[in-house]
Amino acid sequence: MIKHFLTNILRNVRHNKVFTFINLTNLVVGFAVFILFSVVVNYELDYDKFNTNYDQIYRVQTRQEDSYPTNFCTYSPAAFRYHLMADVPEVEQVLLMREVSGGAKGSGQFFTLPDGSQLYELNGYWSENSIFDIFTITLKEGNKSNALTEPGTIAISETLSKKLFPEGNALGKQVTVGKRFPVTVSAVYADFPQNSNLKATYLVSMATYPVLSGEQAYGENWTNISFDNYILLKKGADPKLVDAKIKDVFKNVKNFEKSSPYLHPLSKLHISPNSQPDVIVGLGIISLAAILVLVLASVNYVNLSLANSTQRSKEIGIKKVIGSSKKLIASQFLSETILHTLAATILALFVAQASFPLLNRILNRNIDFSIWGNGQLLIFILLVSLLVGVLSGLYPALVISAYNPVKVLKGKIFSNGGNSFSIKKVLVAAQFSISLFMLIVSFILFNHVNFILNKDLGFDNKNILYTEINPRDKMKFETVKTRMLQHPEIAGISFSSTIPFIGNIGGYVTWQGAAPDEKEMISRNYVNYDFIPTYNLKMAYGRNFSKEYPADNKGCIINETALKVFGWSDPIGKQIYLEGKPFSVVGVVKDFHPFSVHNPIPTYIMFLNNNVISGSTLLSVRFTGDEQKARSLITGELVTIFPNDPFEFKDFSVAFYLDDAIPFWQSMKRMFMFFAVVTLVISTIGLFGLILFTVKRRTKEIGVRKVLGSSVGSIYWQLSTEVIGMLGFAILVGCPGAAYIYKTMPGAYKEPLTASVFIIGIVLIAIIAQLTISFHVLKVAVSNPVEALRYE
Amino acid sequence: MIYLNNIDKYYDSKFQRTFVLKAIKLEVKEGEFVSIMGPSGSGKSTLLNIIGLLDAPSAGEYSLYDKSVLDLKEKAKVDYHRNFMGFIFQAYHLIEEMTVYENIETPLIYKGVKSKDRQAMVADLLDRFNMVAKKDLFPQQLSGGQQQLVGIARAIIGKPKLLLADEPTGNLHSLQGEMIMETLKTLNDEGMTIIQVTHNEKFAEYGKRIIRLEDGIIRKDIAGNTKFASIVK
Ligand SMILES: Nc1ncnc2c1ncn2[C@@H]1O[C@H](COP(=O)(O)OP(=O)(O)OP(=O)(O)O)[C@@H](O)[C@H]1O
Ligand SMILES: [Mg+2]
Repeated sequence: MIKHFLTNILRNVRHNKVFTFINLTNLVVGFAVFILFSVVVNYELDYDKFNTNYDQIYRVQTRQEDSYPTNFCTYSPAAFRYHLMADVPEVEQVLLMREVSGGAKGSGQFFTLPDGSQLYELNGYWSENSIFDIFTITLKEGNKSNALTEPGTIAISETLSKKLFPEGNALGKQVTVGKRFPVTVSAVYADFPQNSNLKATYLVSMATYPVLSGEQAYGENWTNISFDNYILLKKGADPKLVDAKIKDVFKNVKNFEKSSPYLHPLSKLHISPNSQPDVIVGLGIISLAAILVLVLASVNYVNLSLANSTQRSKEIGIKKVIGSSKKLIASQFLSETILHTLAATILALFVAQASFPLLNRILNRNIDFSIWGNGQLLIFILLVSLLVGVLSGLYPALVISAYNPVKVLKGKIFSNGGNSFSIKKVLVAAQFSISLFMLIVSFILFNHVNFILNKDLGFDNKNILYTEINPRDKMKFETVKTRMLQHPEIAGISFSSTIPFIGNIGGYVTWQGAAPDEKEMISRNYVNYDFIPTYNLKMAYGRNFSKEYPADNKGCIINETALKVFGWSDPIGKQIYLEGKPFSVVGVVKDFHPFSVHNPIPTYIMFLNNNVISGSTLLSVRFTGDEQKARSLITGELVTIFPNDPFEFKDFSVAFYLDDAIPFWQSMKRMFMFFAVVTLVISTIGLFGLILFTVKRRTKEIGVRKVLGSSVGSIYWQLSTEVIGMLGFAILVGCPGAAYIYKTMPGAYKEPLTASVFIIGIVLIAIIAQLTISFHVLKVAVSNPVEALRYE
Repeated sequence: MIYLNNIDKYYDSKFQRTFVLKAIKLEVKEGEFVSIMGPSGSGKSTLLNIIGLLDAPSAGEYSLYDKSVLDLKEKAKVDYHRNFMGFIFQAYHLIEEMTVYENIETPLIYKGVKSKDRQAMVADLLDRFNMVAKKDLFPQQLSGGQQQLVGIARAIIGKPKLLLADEPTGNLHSLQGEMIMETLKTLNDEGMTIIQVTHNEKFAEYGKRIIRLEDGIIRKDIAGNTKFASIVK
């Protein structure tokens, strides 16, 4: 019997090549998309699971009542570390870490190679030795028990080790951090896996931290919230209880009243780092879209099967007459469907594996994944495949097995199929609604990406090179400026604590005329005299800081947003208060974008620095002409000025494009385009199936018409009117849906919605629908009408 | 073996009831060869389908071997189709995706006959119908007469007691038609009960009994070779 089934199925494949091809394509597309995104979701959810202590590791994070834009901060004060161990017995191990780079975004750490050249490395941490007890790390060289216990030691990743010591045997060798801090390699560890939240390239022992930073009492500091505190709970300890205990212990700490610690499990560090649901929502949307695509493909399968069954009705009628039971026919059909879906799934697995580069590009990720190596996933996919096979085979199987053989053999079965036909119409209309929706949304995102890339930032972001520098010795800025400006290629130079898109210093101010309890969260920047001209910021009122006014060191420049918030009509000379000290406003700068363009412009205040470069600072240079030339010029100058300090100039416009927001939107755009194309393919197949059904049903009628001399045009027209109704439905559903997405799209600045995105989407769908109809009509037109009429 | 009493078949439309068969009374004994004749639309196929349990009468009694077969469950019906009767059609109705061999074999698979036995049975029939060389061909590759032979082979492979044939020669040249009729005659001689519908007077004569249907009513029921005629009202 099984052999009979199988030969039957294979014969059917051979007999209905077009049908099989379309249907398989449909299923393969559906499954490939589903598999790809299952992998993504699986990959994201599998983050950090390689750690043997996965369930016991927590990061102690900080909830701040008064911070922006979220109350939840992944960092915490170093003081946590020393009180956790002492006060909470459930804590087995504590680990204090801090990013070495700290400071401005994108800055990393330099290593000086033996030949004097500089190696720039991101993702370095200060860390305690307990990292080896808490996280699962494999040491290639060194000893876990004491690798990071002593000051002046560093553990480096295998990759970094190969860069620093190509000849191998790194243990015990000296590395120069920056240009002047020698540390000894105490361990080499295998690189953290890709799906690890923590991806340290090197770890400097925490004991080195006070020596290098000069912060001797960092362990009692409750206000510097820039450390990572990890804990390993004892087996069986209740994290809720521990969370409550920690909150209790830290309740009455001075200067920490507005903040409270909370436990954040390792399982959430990746998908929801600061307790915001962003990644989870993203994963949810992806899962939903992937499931939707699979459902659409299954619906197509059902439709196509029913359409094709007109052709197979005779076979089924005969089988019944010669003694096949309903059950046999149904199970034959079902097994056929299951075989189709399984075949499609296997093909789809290959397609999915081959599409990984595309997926990585769409998602802006670098997932390196072998589907074949993941048994659990394969089993999951096969189960889904079976489910889809059963679900999409069941309905056609029941319909087909119930055919009345007498009617079928007379060719009469479909004379009253009107009802089921309209259900199919609704399904195809729903498919078109979804793809129209996806299309329009991707057009909207396309526009949005262009919009934010081209938005006027309020300052001149071209021809600027910047670098972070943290000099050992103080240096008068004027010295630097004079040397730089000797070159005609250098138009201007400034230094400041932050620059647009890079760095942010928060703080609260009150102002003259504010209500007693009123205060405002601001973004502040300490700039020198040259900052405003270098970035070509425009003044709305008043003036820039100037050396002619010595009192400017107690002055400030606010932006227009601040002016609105403070509600002043005449801002010049008004006072603001920062940490209790008064500053008087000397000017108002026109609003510009200090943060990514999709963030609202903050209340922004600039204060004058003392024009001496010390500590971590950002230098910005405006150049004219060729960038490479300017870069080597200023690099050369800076090397002579700061021979002991590493730095690297970066192109500001590159930093702008690397800003989180841009890749995010670009990735969103690609994602929707991808889904738009996929759903379009699937709904086209759906329409194809529907028209195939109509045409099959009417082959005779069309044949008669042709014999009677009816023009092909009228057949075409008849099919078109049917499709127009479905298009109308798609427009009614798809357009408002897309408009809603536009409305809820995050971001303070959006381009107004234009009709063109809708029109292009609709026209595109209409053209595809017309092409599909034309294909069928042409096929009918060139076919011989006698053929259609031959069998009664 | 077959007993029909007062069988009606009608279709109701909005304003009227159209009778296709009216008060059909028919008894067929084992081993008979009955030819049903009549003008187009007189209800011949309908009658045959009712006998073949493919269609249900609107009213009346129908029993096989004194057992009523009205309101049979699906399973029982399938059982009759598998073990009791075989069908032959004017349009052959072979399964196009299957070879000659597979077409003939399929009813045996439904019957649950073992693979070895199937092989022997199909080989026997192929041999008998001189079709051994054609066993791996698809129906489209055969002539009409050959296709109908396959149809007969498929109908009788399960050794049914009753063979129902609806215009088995309708699509064939007279020569091929004659060959088919000879085959049926041989089968009847071997004891198989046959009911055929035909438009061809000559082929009707192969039957031992000829029934003439007009407007759904049996006008004549003549025992063919005995020249005995009884007029049934
Ligand atoms: N579903 C139906 N609804 C209404 N009338 C029907 C239906 N099916 C069959 N008929 C009518 O029943 C009558 C008998 O049909 P049947 O096929 O039995 O005729 P026939 O004697 O076999 O004719 P032919 O020699 O052309 O094959 C015809 O007039 C036909 O129109
Ligand atoms: Mg007929």
